[in-house]
Amino acid sequence: MSSDTVSILLPELIVVLTATFIYVAGAFLPGKKFWGALALVGVAAAGFVLAGQSEKAAAVVAANEAGPLAVDLMGRYVRGLALLVGAIFVLAAARPQNESLIPEYVGTVLMAVAGLMLVGGARELTLLFLGLELISIPTYILLYLGRRDGASAESAAKYFFLSVLSSAITLYGFSYLYGVGGSTRLDIIQAAMAKALVTPATTGALFAQLALVLVFAGLGFKIAAVPFHFYAPDVYQGTTHTNAGLLAVLPKIAGIAALVRIASIAMPGVEETGLRVTMILALLTMTLGNVVALWQDNIRRMLAYSSIAHAGYMLVGLAVDFAAHKSDDPALQDVDGIGAALFYVAVYSLATAGSFAAFAYLGSRDKQVDTIDDLAGVGGKFPAVALAIAVFMFSLTGLPPLAGFWGKFALFSGAVKVGLAGAESVKLSSWFIVLSIVGVLNAAVSAAYYLRIIGVMYFRESSTSAARGEGGSGARLAAFSCALLVIAVGLAPSRLSQDSQDAATSARAPAKVSAAVAAVAQVGDAR
Amino acid sequence: MNELVVAILLPLIGVGLIWALADGSRVVARWIALAVSLVTLYWAAKCVLAKTLPSYNIPWFTSTGVDIRFNLGLDGLSLWMFALSALLSVTAILVSWEAIKERGPLFYSLLLILESGMLGVFSARDVLLFYVFFEFTLIPLFFLIGVWGSEDRRYAAVKFFLFTLAGSMLTFLGMLAIVLLHADKNPELGITFSIPEITAGLAKYPLSATQQFWIFLALFAGFAVKVPLFPLHTWLPLAHVQAPTAGSVLLAGILLKIGTYGFLRFNMAMLPVGTVTCMPWVLWLSAGGILYGAFVALAQSDVKRLIAYSSVSHLGYCMLGLFALNPLGMQGGVLQMINHGISTGGLFATFGMIYERYHTREIRELGGLARRIPLLSLFMLLFTFSSIGLPGMNGFAGEFLILLGMFQRGYAQAPAFYQWQWTAIAVLAVFGVVLGAWYMLWLYQRVFFGPLKEPADHGADDHGAHDHAAADAHAAHGHDAHGHDAHGHDASGHDDHGHGVAALPPSSVRDMNAREFWALAPLVVLVFWIGVFPQTFLAPMQADINAVSTTVESAYAAHEWPVKDSAVVAGSLPSPSVAQPQPAALDAVAAETLEFARVE
Repeated sequence: MSSDTVSILLPELIVVLTATFIYVAGAFLPGKKFWGALALVGVAAAGFVLAGQSEKAAAVVAANEAGPLAVDLMGRYVRGLALLVGAIFVLAAARPQNESLIPEYVGTVLMAVAGLMLVGGARELTLLFLGLELISIPTYILLYLGRRDGASAESAAKYFFLSVLSSAITLYGFSYLYGVGGSTRLDIIQAAMAKALVTPATTGALFAQLALVLVFAGLGFKIAAVPFHFYAPDVYQGTTHTNAGLLAVLPKIAGIAALVRIASIAMPGVEETGLRVTMILALLTMTLGNVVALWQDNIRRMLAYSSIAHAGYMLVGLAVDFAAHKSDDPALQDVDGIGAALFYVAVYSLATAGSFAAFAYLGSRDKQVDTIDDLAGVGGKFPAVALAIAVFMFSLTGLPPLAGFWGKFALFSGAVKVGLAGAESVKLSSWFIVLSIVGVLNAAVSAAYYLRIIGVMYFRESSTSAARGEGGSGARLAAFSCALLVIAVGLAPSRLSQDSQDAATSARAPAKVSAAVAAVAQVGDAR
Repeated sequence: MNELVVAILLPLIGVGLIWALADGSRVVARWIALAVSLVTLYWAAKCVLAKTLPSYNIPWFTSTGVDIRFNLGLDGLSLWMFALSALLSVTAILVSWEAIKERGPLFYSLLLILESGMLGVFSARDVLLFYVFFEFTLIPLFFLIGVWGSEDRRYAAVKFFLFTLAGSMLTFLGMLAIVLLHADKNPELGITFSIPEITAGLAKYPLSATQQFWIFLALFAGFAVKVPLFPLHTWLPLAHVQAPTAGSVLLAGILLKIGTYGFLRFNMAMLPVGTVTCMPWVLWLSAGGILYGAFVALAQSDVKRLIAYSSVSHLGYCMLGLFALNPLGMQGGVLQMINHGISTGGLFATFGMIYERYHTREIRELGGLARRIPLLSLFMLLFTFSSIGLPGMNGFAGEFLILLGMFQRGYAQAPAFYQWQWTAIAVLAVFGVVLGAWYMLWLYQRVFFGPLKEPADHGADDHGAHDHAAADAHAAHGHDAHGHDAHGHDASGHDDHGHGVAALPPSSVRDMNAREFWALAPLVVLVFWIGVFPQTFLAPMQADINAVSTTVESAYAAHEWPVKDSAVVAGSLPSPSVAQPQPAALDAVAAETLEFARVE
């Protein structure tokens, strides 16, 4: 491990060291609020280092060409996003059920954030898997730390077993990938597969498809895609809002990032299988998630189905990408499905993390808001928090001028473009029209349950409102920051959109890492 | 700074002022809202009356392959709707003056946000910017209906939102398809979202007939729900009835017109072939809406519901005029958009004032009000006349042009196959005018003439008040809640009030006050102004409407119409737009038409 590697990994190191320090020192000073503040400082420092990294990165990367870390814009995008949601969850968790556990709680959140950052920057299977596990293992702990009742224990156990199973499936898929590529490095696998699949009838091609399906099955669990979604409603319902938010956001970002790195980019030649798999998964996931969410009365259960549905939208981006890159049509070469999926996952994360933080705020230590009816009268009692929740719900529906609208715009303009290209240039192109129509109609369906939350908050009064607003000012601050970001991205989407597109471009061209990094350096200089 | 930008931003600044200054006081909030909306009206008028219509264009959302611009501008199609939005917003604020008792600052903020959205819709010249404003108007109206509406408000708000959203999501896909296909056909501009550029580009490189047809349907989904075109209208009566007066005024006056405006701006100007292909269907749906709306209006016992169904009928006229696809009909259609905004907006506003006095919408609980509130009754009468199209008033000019255009299309310009159908549609539309006079005048007779009938507990709390409002309202009025339940729906008990009463029984109900007068007066001026000098309003639109109608008419001329089976002429397969009917066939057509009208 050279000093260069250290300097690239410095943000992750800062986060992990902060977490370790909090663990150790927290044992002597439990139950103090300042551990949350310290964790925030750590995240901020990591973000600062990450932002400043671009200037040095060009020099670093030369020495690191053969390393397991991808010093590219996509890594930067995902790591930045990880730090952002990390800060939100640290804020939201500032007042957990059991105050003496504050240091353990925030430290564990930081560990999961570090795992997500590793996934974002990995271009090597082992490191990527390590990152995924570094998200999962802290999550098991968090699920136990959240609450101490039967439902909580059940949800933690359920999540643990299914998560372990999915890790095993993912690993099994990786083993085929290793067999096909002869290396754990993704760029080498990519080159090997491009060569091997010139003759498609080989066993290599068969194994590649097998690997693809297994990877989708394993990572489908992380992003809660149908039919690997069934744990989500039970687990979310059984835990706290903050934990549910973590589960809805961190593994989702990690899963999408890993799918982009592995399936979309490192596996040329299996696009057609990938296209079919993602399209079926997307159609099922969107529809089932949204339709079942209509019948839910528990907030977390409803948001669990909502997060399932949004995984379906993200898969649309991957499907678009598979289709566009299978095609030789030059008009489709600039269709950016990956960029759209990365954009979408960011706006989804902001709105989801924000709404869980807001719901966490509305509860009290003894009782959180559980059912939608508990929200009656919140619009009059907590106008600002209700407004923030309304912003999140409208954004998740995809209404302009909020961030979620541009996410849907990015995804569906890609899908429509592929759909219009015609069957001669893209296989299954007409299915993309179906996919877009199902997608937008799903958005209308989703409006029904998001509006229900808004309607109960604003249109119904309750003298015995269950909402106490005792979840701590940190949670409220987290919700407000997310709401502001959702509005800001909605009004000025250019920057995030360009970042996500640049991330996709640089991830797609690992051979040109240095060029991408040079571009980063330029951007940095320009600032 | 550009006038358009000022006009759109001012209401939002007003929202900021309300939040900064009102501090929960509805009195401060409403004065701020009124002042801001008047200033906005001034700037909007400045935009409309400027010698060269203003425009504004800066990049908004730019990243690789995307160039969405904050591109604003007015032209003949949007000019008057833009102005009317600003005007009706003032009316909406004035009619809410006393009616809104709780959460005043929030109410006026939402009204101003809605105003900003409406001004944006009509001035947007970028496809996505239009869509953003189009969808954005849903949010404030959703809250206006849901929080301040009547007893069934939550259901109404949600139904309104979901219907519109479901349709407009498909519109969104259609718009994406237009933009992307245009970029394919006309690559030198790259992916442009500019409405004028796309319109010009698609005129040069038209899309294939199949593409136009499907995209037409996608756009149709959203716009037809918004209009609302029969049979997609079911959300409208509910929303109208449940909405607070201001919401009804703006919904009827402006928001429904976004649908017809969208048809004009997108379907007709960009997809002429698709428009012509679907035209026969749309004509029938419009005629169906005219008659259905009128008949259902006849059967209503609730004043607001009756006016709502009259909207369905009148919007049918707008669609009929637009889809006559000739300059006469389209001018009439656009003029009728404005007319309906004024007259139905006026009807809702006036009835809102009456509702404030009596707290009932039931026709049978009201009667002879002309004696009690003569001035308000006069205004109601004027708007009623305007709505049924009395000559000399605005409705006449619009309906006359529409019917003229439709007869011209059906009788003189139709392909043989459709001649009898379209003539029949025109005749049915005339029949609809008669029905319109019937239900409106009947309503007027029942409510304002005859023996005086007033609900006994008028002035008590809101009819079917909000559960949370009840306490406040009672405190404010000092009335007994139980009195309401006991007498509210018991109309028969009051009949004795009316018979042979020479002197009016004493009552706390006052006639119109100055605020109410000034809310309605501008609309009445417009009613007569448009009625007497329609040319003033038609002239600025003419060039742009003619441009659209030329586009669709050339597509119409090139369309292959189905041939009427055997009867039609060997040899002279006609260029359809000039096909003249055979004199002998004419009688048959007329007979058929009459028969059809009778059956209906």
